[in-house]
Amino acid sequence: MSAELEAGKKESRWKLSLDTWAVLVAFLLALLVRTGVFKHIPW
Amino acid sequence: MADAITVPQVQPVQPAMRFMRVIPGVLLLATVGYSGKLLEQNVGAYAKAHHWTFPNIEYVLWAIILGLVISNTVGVPEIFRTGVATYEFWLKAGIVLLGARFLLGDILKLGGVSLVLVAIEITGAIAFMTFLGRVFHLKPKLTSLLAVGSAVCGVSAIIATKGAIEADDEDSSFSIAAILALGALALFTFPVIGHFLHLSDRVYGLWAGLAVDNTAEATAAGALYSDAAAKLAVLIKSTRNAMIGFVVLAYAIYWASQGQAKSVGNKAAFLWQKFPKFVLGFLMISVVATYHFFNKEQLGALGNLSRWAFLLTFAGVGLRTNFSDMRKQGLRPFAVGAIGEVVIAGFTLALVYGAGKLFGW
Repeated sequence: MSAELEAGKKESRWKLSLDTWAVLVAFLLALLVRTGVFKHIPW
Repeated sequence: MADAITVPQVQPVQPAMRFMRVIPGVLLLATVGYSGKLLEQNVGAYAKAHHWTFPNIEYVLWAIILGLVISNTVGVPEIFRTGVATYEFWLKAGIVLLGARFLLGDILKLGGVSLVLVAIEITGAIAFMTFLGRVFHLKPKLTSLLAVGSAVCGVSAIIATKGAIEADDEDSSFSIAAILALGALALFTFPVIGHFLHLSDRVYGLWAGLAVDNTAEATAAGALYSDAAAKLAVLIKSTRNAMIGFVVLAYAIYWASQGQAKSVGNKAAFLWQKFPKFVLGFLMISVVATYHFFNKEQLGALGNLSRWAFLLTFAGVGLRTNFSDMRKQGLRPFAVGAIGEVVIAGFTLALVYGAGKLFGW
């Protein structure tokens, strides 16, 4: 197997799913609210 | 040592490039969603100022209608499509953030009841869809996909099952089209039925979460009724989503036993791979919120962030629904799906009513 395919396989093993990205972004936003970076979010 | 066969080098898309590609579509989602919000505020005020009788249409419905109009008239140009497809990402981020509005005790209290209701719904829906598939002589794997789509969680469940049971692309396209078309219909029929039957927010939210298949449509159907109904619809729908791994595993084992799919090696790894991680995120945020990690103002801010994320989702629901594409997929799977959905909607409504009487909701 070529080195490129090996590398591709390794990369895809570490690729995060859409679900996981959504969770990470939501946690980051929650942390920014908690630390006061985002004080007020209007609606 | 060089390989004897040279593999064509595929240029990977750089992360920065990938990010740039989603921007136009995300801007379109934001524009359509925000226009829906403006229409909600201004149409109602305009009608009131001119003494017209006009129903109060929520931003949810405006955003979906605007999206549907664009998608079914001028269409969504290629440049926007990658970004429009991110609506599922916003949906999941919105659900995780919504976790802050739930106390763990409420989830456990409702979770126990909802788990029983979800188990009954999944068993009943799979049994009935399998029966209908046989009556209408649908291909067995197509029937499996339709059964999973209507019992568990729409498109994600169909995609997960397709891989596990090695179904045809054509079968999964049929099932996805049927589930999406029926989800779009549910958006318009569920709130009307709910108001007609004077359902409480709790009963309606439980019903929408149990009967509407796709998570985005279930959230929208709940939000079209009330905020409280939307919260419950999301909770119940997430409970259904959490079952996806078990149902897909059961189907994978069945089709492997028929010699028509690969057998599943490590079942625990399979379950983890299929488990929707946003459900865990939702629970984790709820746990920290229960232990006062956020103050009242911060909880309000998280609730609003979740609303903004849903706003993009609702715009995406309209923009990705194209009726002419769905028509091309044929009538039979749609008919099976439609009959199944009507029966499941009636069955789950009776179930929720029964539970309401039992628990005094």
